[in-house]
Amino acid sequence: MGTVDIRNIRKSYGNVEVLHGVSLHIRDGEFVALVGPSGCGKSTLLRMIAGLEDITAGDIVISDRVVNHVAPKDRNIAMVFQNYALYPHMNVRDNMGFALRQRRMPKPEIESRVDNAARILGLERLLDRKPRALSGGQRQRVAMGRAIVREPNVFLFDEPLSNLDAKLRVQMRSEIKELHQRLKTTTVYVTHDQIEAMTLADRVVVMNGGVIEQQGSPLELYDHPASRFVAAFIGSPPMNFIEGTVVNGTHVRLEDGTTIHVPVTNLGGQARVTIGVRPEHFELSNAGWPATVSVVEPTGSETQITARMSGQIVRILIRGRTFVRPGEVIHLTVPPDLIHIFDDSGTPSIHAITRGIKQHA
Amino acid sequence: MTRWSFMMPSIVLLLVTLAYPIFYTIDISFSTFDLSTFGADERVGWANYEEVLNDYRFWDALKVTLVYLVIALPLQVALGFAIAFLINAEWGGRGMVRALFIIPMVVAPVVAGGIWRMILDPLWGLMNYALQGIGIGPLDWFGDANLAMAAVIIIDTWRWTPFIVLIATAALLALPRDVFEAAKIDGANWWSTLWSIALPLLIPIITATFVIRWLGAVKMFDIVLAATYGGPGKATNVLNLFIYEEAFRSLRFAESSAMAVIVLVLTMVLTGIFLYGSRKLEERF
Repeated sequence: MGTVDIRNIRKSYGNVEVLHGVSLHIRDGEFVALVGPSGCGKSTLLRMIAGLEDITAGDIVISDRVVNHVAPKDRNIAMVFQNYALYPHMNVRDNMGFALRQRRMPKPEIESRVDNAARILGLERLLDRKPRALSGGQRQRVAMGRAIVREPNVFLFDEPLSNLDAKLRVQMRSEIKELHQRLKTTTVYVTHDQIEAMTLADRVVVMNGGVIEQQGSPLELYDHPASRFVAAFIGSPPMNFIEGTVVNGTHVRLEDGTTIHVPVTNLGGQARVTIGVRPEHFELSNAGWPATVSVVEPTGSETQITARMSGQIVRILIRGRTFVRPGEVIHLTVPPDLIHIFDDSGTPSIHAITRGIKQHA
Repeated sequence: MTRWSFMMPSIVLLLVTLAYPIFYTIDISFSTFDLSTFGADERVGWANYEEVLNDYRFWDALKVTLVYLVIALPLQVALGFAIAFLINAEWGGRGMVRALFIIPMVVAPVVAGGIWRMILDPLWGLMNYALQGIGIGPLDWFGDANLAMAAVIIIDTWRWTPFIVLIATAALLALPRDVFEAAKIDGANWWSTLWSIALPLLIPIITATFVIRWLGAVKMFDIVLAATYGGPGKATNVLNLFIYEEAFRSLRFAESSAMAVIVLVLTMVLTGIFLYGSRKLEERF
């Protein structure tokens, strides 16, 4: 049983409050990613779950037990650190067995648990090496092994892949996912990389400025961002935001006076709106929003076009190849149900009213 | 050419201040010494060295130095790291205590020796007064051979432990925090955190500190000069004091130069062995 219940948690350092009452319920076996820009409080929250930071107010409940004043070792959690935090003077075997030795577990059992974890992670041949003789990816695996052998209720990951190079990161990402599918241990995973969060997690919690901005399944966040912040944060390349003034129900005047037709049923009574369109939702056509191409970047499978639309830069992602050239004027259309409308404050989006069913792969 | 001319000032400075005295000493150690010219007179080969090695006083002084080193060094290093470990925890006034620790280092050694002479004075010293309070003494600190050595070691430890505390504090602050957090989550208690995590991580710093202190301690004579002047008898007559005495009291510059060279070679060899050993130790961890 590995549930984590976070109840109205606050954290202050002196007079500065960094977490402003965060509540989150994590179900048994769930993989939750906390994601947000640096300083949003995600790592602090994770460290509070681990017991490495005091709780200023609120409760943290792990497996139906309030653990506010329980020592980290007694919370039955295991943590994987950003810099691995391996014991540099111990070999891999001793690193993984350290927690078990502290519990005075009988040697044969330590042995079998370490061997088992090593097999899962493919570390059998490295058991006698010191951390300094391992590559970054191997060290990360040892750090995970150290967590696995404890058979904890909850795994905590603190940006575990941020020190690895891009290729290895992708590989370790799928290893972590595979591991979770295999062990089904409740996992809280902190990252600033939204792709990591999206690909790994059952549920993504977007944090910003010490509060939870939105939470939901990765595709929910992608399809229904509850704020302009989430819309900008989730998705890569990020969503385009085109600002303008509503002229009548379905037309918006952009800064340079161009008026474009926004094919949604109702823009509301808003004076100023922000139209949000993901780069991959634009379609090139003969008529639509005019834009001047400035850069074309083909990658083979897709082509990214950077264009100017009445002074604002928009990114367009076209599947396959295209023959547009820089300087050319193109016309863009967007399926109505893929247009996001944000009001002037940027926070509550009114797209939900106007959008029907979403459909994309 | 130009690069050499740019380096000239420092090369000259080094030659004058470092190389010349060393070669001068080596030169004298193989010659008879002419007090009128204050230079080497006649080459005598190893004669000065033979004389020194046959002098029981040299061996006595060497023994005294070794006793002092063997007791004082481990004591200071252990004490320094222990104090650093204890004051490293977060508590008010920590900065104040750290500042206070610097005082012994900035007091001139001769002054320190004098102060301690008063503290340890058998008749009206503070130390005996305090010891009498718990029923010990009075102790004749400078009259008894063992107590005099103890006194020298106490003064030297008072003077040098803060230095080690400073190094150790810096080392402790530089230790990776997340490793200790991992240990905390892994359930390591205070003792196993110290023994299984902190100490092994500190081994390189500890050995480096040891070497620095060792090099300083071999040269020690100021404290002895001020506190006991080698006495009682020759009980605290460390090698450097003996060399100093031979040279500037007995004016036997040739023999004392030979001794200085012997000490130099001995120090280099022992330091080499020590560094080799500590490297092996690091590899084991």
